[in-house]
Formats: sequence, C-alpha cells, structure tokens
Amino acid sequence: MTHTLHRKGEAHDFGDDHVLLAMAATGITHKGSAETKRKMFEILAKHPHVNCGDVKTGSLFNSDFESIRAGFQDTSVLHFVFPDKETVVRVLEDLKAADLGLSVVITGLFDDTQAACQKSGLPMHTVEYSGGILGKTERLAPNGVLEITTMCGHGLVAANLVLELVKQVRARRKTCAAAAAELAAPCLCGIFNPKRAERLLAKLV
Amino acid sequence: MIIAQDRCQGCAKCVPYCPVDAIISFKRDKAKGIAAHAIINSDECVECGACYRAKVCETDAFVRDVLPYPRVLRQLFSDPWFSHPGTDIPGRGTEEMKTNEVTGRFWDGYIGIGLEFGRPGVGCRLKETERAFQRLLPLGFVLEPKNPLTQLIADPKTGALKPEAREEKVLSAIVEGIVPLDKAAHAFEIIKELANEIDTVFSLDVIGKVARDGNIPVREAMRAAGFTPSAAGKTNVGLGRPLFEKHE
Repeated sequence: MTHTLHRKGEAHDFGDDHVLLAMAATGITHKGSAETKRKMFEILAKHPHVNCGDVKTGSLFNSDFESIRAGFQDTSVLHFVFPDKETVVRVLEDLKAADLGLSVVITGLFDDTQAACQKSGLPMHTVEYSGGILGKTERLAPNGVLEITTMCGHGLVAANLVLELVKQVRARRKTCAAAAAELAAPCLCGIFNPKRAERLLAKLV
Repeated sequence: MIIAQDRCQGCAKCVPYCPVDAIISFKRDKAKGIAAHAIINSDECVECGACYRAKVCETDAFVRDVLPYPRVLRQLFSDPWFSHPGTDIPGRGTEEMKTNEVTGRFWDGYIGIGLEFGRPGVGCRLKETERAFQRLLPLGFVLEPKNPLTQLIADPKTGALKPEAREEKVLSAIVEGIVPLDKAAHAFEIIKELANEIDTVFSLDVIGKVARDGNIPVREAMRAAGFTPSAAGKTNVGLGRPLFEKHE
C-alpha cells in the first residue's frame, strides 16, 4: 500500500503534485473514525485541489464530490491532490489546529514537504523513499508513459491507454485535458493528478 | 473476469484499458465464419477489474464472477476494491509508515524495506517473490505479519509459498519487512543481486524514522549502498493520536 510512492519524473517536474493521505490506525483508532474523516474532508475541500477520493467510493473522475463526502467508513483512506506547495502549508496549518488525531502523509518533493512542516510547526516523523525500479526494466513502458501511469500506484492506468489517448489527441479528436480526465478515471483512490497528466501528455503528443 | 461471447460485438474499445495486455481482440473473418470478438487470456489476467470498471462496453459483456481460491488471490492483490481478510485495508499492502506515529512499526535503529514485485505495470507470478524471501530471511529480515504475501508463506524458514498460490499472477505483491540499520548495507547488496535473478521488475521502498535532530539515517544508508534516495517521497507528519511513545 505504498501507492503514492514511486511517481516517476524528474525532480523539477513535481511542483504541481502534492498528495495527501489520511487514515486511522487499524485496530487502534479506526473504530468510529468515519466521522473524523468527514470532518477532515470538509477542511481539505476548502483548499484548491485537483483530485480527491477514497478507494471505496472513488475519485472526482469516477464518482462525484457528494458521494465521496457521504461515503466514508472507518476503514476509508482519504486522499487529496494539491497543485502547489503553498497550499500544502495552509492545509497542514489547518490540520494542526483541528487536531483530529488521524495520521497524515504528504507525498511530494521532500524539500517542499520539509519546508511545509517547518512553516506549519509539524515534525517529519517517518519518511519513505523510492529506491527506483530494479530487475527486468526492459519490460517497462517508455519513461514518458510511466510518468503518467505511475500516478496510479495500484497500477490501474494502463500504458496502452496512454498510447491510445496520445493517438486521439494527435488526431485532434480529443484535447489533452479531456484525455487526462479519462486517464484519471481508472485510479480509484483519487491520487492521480490530471493537471500533471495534461502537461505530460502535451509532451508526448 | 470473462467476456460473454454472446454479447461481445468485437469493437475492441476495452483493449487499451487492461494494464497487463490480457484482452485479445479478433477481427471478423468472413471466410472462417468468425465474428469480430474479444476474449480475456485468463492465465495473464490479474483480476484487477480495470476493464469492468472502464464502462466502455456498450453491451455489458464483462462478467465478474465470484472467484474460487486460489484464483481469488489475483483479485485480492490486484483490485483495491477488495480488502484482504488478513489486513482489513484495500489492496496488496499494509499501513506501513502511514500510521507509524501511532503503531510504532518502524522505530529508531531500524530500516523498513519493501520490494514491490511487478510494479510498475509488469505484473508477476507470486512464486517470483520467493527468491527475495530466500535471500533476505537468513539476514534476519523480519517480515511484516499483516502483509498479505507474508500470510501466503508455507515455510517461514525458506519463504516458500503455499504451492497453490505460486502460479497466480498479480499486478504487484510486496515483500515487506524490517532489519536493523547495521544490516542495511548487506540487505541492499542482496537487493542488487536479486535484480539479476528475477524475471520481472520490483520497485524498492525504503522507510525510516526521522531522528530527533532531523537526521534521516535510512537516507544515508541508501547512499552508502549506492542507491539514490528519490527526491520525492512520503512524509508522515506526526498528526496521528495517540502517539506510540505515550503508551510504550
């Protein structure tokens, strides 16, 4: 369940990609946590975001805002994708003040997250790094495609779908924005960043 | 997952949605009297459900049956709609560092390591993970008991999986555990060797607690072993309550 890790791309390419995940600890704090997640959702939804969701109810691209808000369960994992580091600072300040007791993980450039933690007065408690992809790497999709598909950490965005949509954009049957929205749909959690995908698609076209 | 042949119109719109290329489409062959149609290669299908949820089939030809054991393992590892009964959370993994300030799963002096076999986008047979268990367990690699792959191990000494699970194909499965930091260098050497011994890919996860002085020992351990820590990654910002330290 490291689904927000391993987003492929150059360091300079993550400026608009900041993922927040929130959950309760199973067996310790998860009972009765659905309402707390709903409260956190209300706080997060006030900030600019490009996607959000929970795997059980879906994301903005395969479900809808009201269904997500109404669908939290004790076992739900809440996700938001924010488009800039300044928003992450304001989000963390709000969450610190709310003191809801849910665990929160930010995925993005460590430099940005570290700065956001310092500004909001929160610690970097535990970190997780990607050590890259090893093994038969010749079996991987091309880098430009992987930069898009790896935004769904469960691997549900197919490389062939990216290639098919690139063809459709080249043929002027679809815009990059529309193609990015289609690519966001298979990702159930709502961690796929359609704005970044739109930008990356334009490079492939 | 199957495609009901009496409903499939052979439009092939579903084909690009499969993350593992398991949908095969056939064009109409008038001479042989074959209509255009698509089928799912059940041996390659990982039961992730992406084709079913894509909702591009105009005739609702995708049929998702209740899967028998051990085939259901494909679904439990590959489709995050389903929670593994041993973890109670969606997907193939665990809470790992996400709730670490509450669970205390990773603490000072230890390094968490995950080898995500099959990720990204290649997939793997579960048996391909056995090599990692064989190589890491003698080092004192302590497996995460809540990980669904750990729960398929038949022999804890060798890491051999239950025989019926070995051939099942999944989008990814995570070899997950911890070792003391002083064994990190050895673990990383084994991981480099493993990369040459397997027939798929794996994504490497490295987890560690940030020291009180802000130092990140696992990052230094990665560098010392010749790995480049990613510029982007995950940070638990310590908001969960109650803190593990308080009820130690």
